[in-house]
Amino acid sequence: MTDFMVQALGVRKSYGGVDVLKGVDLNVKRGEVTCLIGPSGSGKSTLLRCINHLEQHDAGELRVDGQLVGYEARDGKLYERSNKAICAERARIGMVFQRFNLFQHLSVLDNVTIGQIKVRGIGEKDAQQRARELLARVGLANKEANYPSQLSGGQQQRVAIARALAMDPKLMLFDEPTSALDPELVGEVLDVMKDLAHSGMTMVVVTHEMGFAREVADTAYFLDQGIIEESGDPKAMLTNPQSSRLQGFLSKVL
Amino acid sequence: MSANGGDAMKVVPVRHYGRWVGGVTVLVALAMVIHTLFSKVPSGIVVCHTSDGVRHCAQSVRWRFSWNIVGQYFTTWEMFHGLLVTLELTVLAMAIGITLGVIIAIMRMSPSRLLSAPAWTYTWFFRGTPVYVQLIFWFNIAALYYTFSLGVPFTHLSVLTFHSNSVFVPFTAAVVAFGLNEAAYMSEIARAGLLAVDEGQIEAASAIGMTRAQTLRLVILPQAMRVIIPPTGNEVISMLKTTSLASAVGVIELLGAAQNIYAANYQVMPLLIVASLWYLIVTTILSIGQFYLERHFAKGATRTPPPTPIARIKADVRGIAAKMRSRRPEVVR
Repeated sequence: MTDFMVQALGVRKSYGGVDVLKGVDLNVKRGEVTCLIGPSGSGKSTLLRCINHLEQHDAGELRVDGQLVGYEARDGKLYERSNKAICAERARIGMVFQRFNLFQHLSVLDNVTIGQIKVRGIGEKDAQQRARELLARVGLANKEANYPSQLSGGQQQRVAIARALAMDPKLMLFDEPTSALDPELVGEVLDVMKDLAHSGMTMVVVTHEMGFAREVADTAYFLDQGIIEESGDPKAMLTNPQSSRLQGFLSKVL
Repeated sequence: MSANGGDAMKVVPVRHYGRWVGGVTVLVALAMVIHTLFSKVPSGIVVCHTSDGVRHCAQSVRWRFSWNIVGQYFTTWEMFHGLLVTLELTVLAMAIGITLGVIIAIMRMSPSRLLSAPAWTYTWFFRGTPVYVQLIFWFNIAALYYTFSLGVPFTHLSVLTFHSNSVFVPFTAAVVAFGLNEAAYMSEIARAGLLAVDEGQIEAASAIGMTRAQTLRLVILPQAMRVIIPPTGNEVISMLKTTSLASAVGVIELLGAAQNIYAANYQVMPLLIVASLWYLIVTTILSIGQFYLERHFAKGATRTPPPTPIARIKADVRGIAAKMRSRRPEVVR
């Protein structure tokens, strides 16, 4: 078992000739919170999506929990993993999206139980009990019968976090979890994330919330145009940026 | 609120003269329709009787629309049997149409050209030729294929062999023709529904480890249903009426039953009315079913489900009552 939950080495990704990631190195220790910051189009969301194989990286080495993402190394060759194996990998990596993506046709409770029942094969009673615990943890114990469209953005995002946690993940990925929220709703989601960070969950968070990065993250990475410009302790990075790009970025967002 | 120091002012609503003229015209037309529906005409039969040694003769009258004959045939076993065959044709053809249509829609959306191109061609062919032509084609399929065999392709090895003429009896020919034709339309409806589901739903399903098949079954299809149901309801109603074409190849469904009866008694119009009334009854029931089905699948898509007809009538009554109250003279101060 390695100390690292996520290891990226020279990860590259391009879409139709446009290089989005141009060789990214990243290391996330177990139990650590890592924030990815940077301007839009810098490749931070793409990197996140490569980690749980929603996107397939073109080159470089990407490992989660010591295992190569999407491939298996055997006899000096890389074998592409079957869909089933990839699904099993993903099931242990929670992901929270910018636009929540709750299942619109299911109640809040069913949103949190469906993965447990259909993917993990847990019985309905146990799944519901676990779902209720998680909904209570994100402060939505009284909303289990509602449908997503009846909830505010902040409430929907907290349900989405509960849905991801229900899969008992070893790693949680957050893709700009507060960017689609009204300003007054951002706090309630960040509070849940802070609570999660303090419980020892390994988290990779793409965010524009510099306050959160400074306060909660153990490490921050600043991406710009597909490369990591600067990384390290978020407090030091944000108060005393070294690269001119980060200085320019911070002068715009702070 | 007043313009002249606290005195009450009368509120004069806008007069909609155009609406009044239109309304009166519609009422007159409606009265004419009802009048002619229930009018009587001379029957051509002279009835005479003698009373007190005087002979009286008069021509009898009958309903113009022969309602008595309509009533007489409305609930005959022939019509019931025809209705049953119509319902069977509709259900079987729609079952084939929906199943095949969804499969074709999924094939059409496949990244593989080998799957998407045939799907496109299928829709192109079956939508591009009249359903009536297809019906006659399947009815006469024996002219092309005397037998059908189940076996190894391109060899003479076969497990089962059917004679076309024993399989493609009128009823089967109609089910196959309507079913295959319907699949072309249903595939487009299903495709629209599948495309309407947000990409993010698929990503979220993938992210919790669902396989593609699970994502399709548990996440995409249930949400696509909301978009698929209303046009599918229309297709069912349309199919119910299209099945009347089957009478042309000898299926005794509703229209066929009516035709059989009027071939014997020459009461063409009354029997067409009988068949039409049955079609109307079934389409009405189907429309009601469609409403509740749509309501069920709208779960989660709308914050408040649309009211049921009964709830709507209640609301209308409340609305009218409220209007009546507000008509009472009010004093504006």
